[in-house]
Amino acid sequence: MKQHLQRQSGVANVDVSLIDGKVEIVPKEDGKIDPAQLLKATYDSGVSVAELDMIARGKIVKDSSGGLALQVTPSQSFVIAPNESSNELQQLAGSATFVTIRGQLYKKPDGKRKADTSASLKLVILEVQKKE
Amino acid sequence: MNRRKLVLLLLLGCIFVPQMQAQIKHVEMRVEGMT
Repeated sequence: MKQHLQRQSGVANVDVSLIDGKVEIVPKEDGKIDPAQLLKATYDSGVSVAELDMIARGKIVKDSSGGLALQVTPSQSFVIAPNESSNELQQLAGSATFVTIRGQLYKKPDGKRKADTSASLKLVILEVQKKE
Repeated sequence: MNRRKLVLLLLLGCIFVPQMQAQIKHVEMRVEGMT
């Protein structure tokens, strides 16, 4: 799995902890990393993902349906799932303020339902770390 | 003198602008079925 992930574009380093099943991925400084590709690469290596969290910095924008999204590059943005933490970002939509957030992009469905990693990922804000 | 200030400003810009860029800083996964 480590090799699978390390081959993905934008990945600088992968650290795997066998004891607690934790995989830390350090993106390259200037690289564009695609979390959906990381999920796919992990599944392709025969391991199932229970959760995928990330820390990202970007601007809050409104998407085509009027919902909030975190734009990390002009070509990469993540739709934000509405929750208590995302409410405080509402006023920043369309502003030049950069926010650093910790959020969850994927969580394995409960029960025996098959996980669908191809579905579009929604970012659940866990913590707004910085506004600048 | 003004040219020097301009050069200094450009240099500082080169140092700080990349840090201002938006990006994914860290990704962490919890996986199951790893041997």
